[in-house]
Amino acid sequence: MSDPINSIISKALSEGRKALLEHEALELARAAEIPTPRYLFTPLGSRPEPDFPPPYVLKIVSPDIIHKSDVGGVRLNIGGDELEREVGELVETVKRNAPNAEITGVLVMEMAEEGVETLVGLTRDPQFGPVVAFGLGGIFVEIYRDVSFRLAPIPIEEAREMIREVKAYKILSGYRGRPPADIDALADVIVKVSQLGDKYPEIMEMDINPLIAYPRGALAVDVRVILGE
Amino acid sequence: MSRPWLKEALKRTLYPDSVAVIGASRSPRKIGFQVVYNLIKDGFRGRIYPVNPNAEEIMGLKAYPSITSIPDEVDVAVIAIPAEKVRRALKGSIEKGVSGVVVITSGFAEVGRAEEERELVRMADEAGIALLGPNVVGILNTDHNMNLSFCPSLPYRGRITMVTQSGALAIGLVGWTWANRIGLSKMVSIGNMAQIGFEEMLEYLEDDEDTETILLYMESLKDGRRFVEIAREVSKKKPIVAIKSGRSQRGAKAAMSHTGSLAGDVKLYDVAFRASGVIPAYGLEDGFDKALALHLQPPMRGPNLVVVTNGGGAGVLASDFAEEYGLPLRDMPQDLEKEVRRAISPFGSPKNPIDLTGNAYKEDYIEVLDKVLSHPWVDGVVAIYVHAAITDPYEIADGIVSIVRRHPGKPVIMSMIGGREVSIANTWLRDNGIPVYPSPRRAVAAASALYRYGEFLERVGM
Repeated sequence: MSDPINSIISKALSEGRKALLEHEALELARAAEIPTPRYLFTPLGSRPEPDFPPPYVLKIVSPDIIHKSDVGGVRLNIGGDELEREVGELVETVKRNAPNAEITGVLVMEMAEEGVETLVGLTRDPQFGPVVAFGLGGIFVEIYRDVSFRLAPIPIEEAREMIREVKAYKILSGYRGRPPADIDALADVIVKVSQLGDKYPEIMEMDINPLIAYPRGALAVDVRVILGE
Repeated sequence: MSRPWLKEALKRTLYPDSVAVIGASRSPRKIGFQVVYNLIKDGFRGRIYPVNPNAEEIMGLKAYPSITSIPDEVDVAVIAIPAEKVRRALKGSIEKGVSGVVVITSGFAEVGRAEEERELVRMADEAGIALLGPNVVGILNTDHNMNLSFCPSLPYRGRITMVTQSGALAIGLVGWTWANRIGLSKMVSIGNMAQIGFEEMLEYLEDDEDTETILLYMESLKDGRRFVEIAREVSKKKPIVAIKSGRSQRGAKAAMSHTGSLAGDVKLYDVAFRASGVIPAYGLEDGFDKALALHLQPPMRGPNLVVVTNGGGAGVLASDFAEEYGLPLRDMPQDLEKEVRRAISPFGSPKNPIDLTGNAYKEDYIEVLDKVLSHPWVDGVVAIYVHAAITDPYEIADGIVSIVRRHPGKPVIMSMIGGREVSIANTWLRDNGIPVYPSPRRAVAAASALYRYGEFLERVGM
């Protein structure tokens, strides 16, 4: 039986792509048992027919576009009735803003509920190999660089320790009356990302940003995967 | 690359019975003079063979025109001749059947001649011998009375082995070890690390009977992953402290992901050290401070540090630094606090940091430390003595020594604050296995090293 992760990776590499497309990255995450919201990839020109209820998030899928919102390639909170029209408009907008970009299709995704936004990422250091990062989303990572690191693979206790280590941990542990986030679910994602780094040398970098933490469970809402030979 | 024969070859290189010095010279300005001179002066008991085609004898020793003309076995060849002649000297040494070569000569990879350096490694590997360098100061082994280097003297004798990537530091630090009474078994300069790097040294030191603690001065690693794997094993047996200078070299590759750019600005070395149980040190002083503490005291098996002081200010400083170094002081259990309260002056404080006040005598330290160290909650102690007019630092030190002897399982670190008056006390403490530092900050930093090591041992189930 062929490994679905290997198939995703080799398909992209054989097509000369270094970054996985949106839905491929989500597929890879799912194959690694990292929970994601439900989603449907709609190839360009076909009708979007998700088998899950609205509201939806729409994202343009293109190998040429990295910053989707800069070209109007993301739409939030779309109802079921508007879906087809919105998908069409989204494609038109992006075509106008990025006329040279090749558009593969549109990702229709279940809109995730609010929770605490975190980041789990993987990178490869020339000295130490695969390294996994954890932090809280937004300013904690961007401005304060409040991130913890470990060398992959990471055992579950170390993953928990990584989460406790960031200064913003308080926000996860139940801050101002909010229920505490599911630390074990986050730790589980860290472990799985670290295993991906350890097992698949082709994965050069990976970002799950955000990985939304809930009182029960966590969801990888945006997954980016960069490949190398 | 795996070199199963290297450990044995390295052992012979560090403990040779006979040494040939290729490039031995009669001119005191030449390194080849210094090496022969140092071997003799510092009492090397093995045979020394100067190699110099233009001399009959050097410092009273018969000189040989080539290493192959020496009518005896040679364990180690020191090579101190111009770079372009090194390859031929290595070839001769291999023919002679040495176990290792120490290439002092510089002018290889560090000036862009990497291919020439690789060729030396190929030759050494093929012959199955150890190659230290090029670009090294040499080997100092106090347990073999061997100053095989151009350092002016052997270091103070002890059980710490230092491996340094910088040769100049090796020379400077030898004097430092005497001034600070920090005992070394060996100081090994590894220079360009063409064949023997930190990884290989650690593999050897793991079973070196004369080494109990390892101190590394590191600028870079040959293979980070391999280092982590080896260090993780060695750390289980012997503590390793690393002074890392410079930052993680992420190469020119631009990071495409968010995580990549974040990783670029953290010290991944610290992450790697944590994974392998290596205790990071920030600067030379910190490196020796931590190595000494780890060498003399048992690891701290939990986070509960108690500070006992006769001066409030020093206690507050200690708590500040304890927090900064990841070992914040916690409230002691009620029962312990009550016992301490009964033992100290009503003007003192029984709360952590415990303040015995300035009129605390030897007996007061003994009584309180006995209670503190006996309590199962306590994992380690920093005891502070600020020189006070009415007490004799030596008396206090003597008291500390006696109480620490009674509680060998828990680490105690001392800080003696004062001038000349405390120096005899310091010597007494040190000679009795208690690390002592002139400031609360350094004492607490040393305690944090014991804690980190204990935490690592815990993590690997030891």
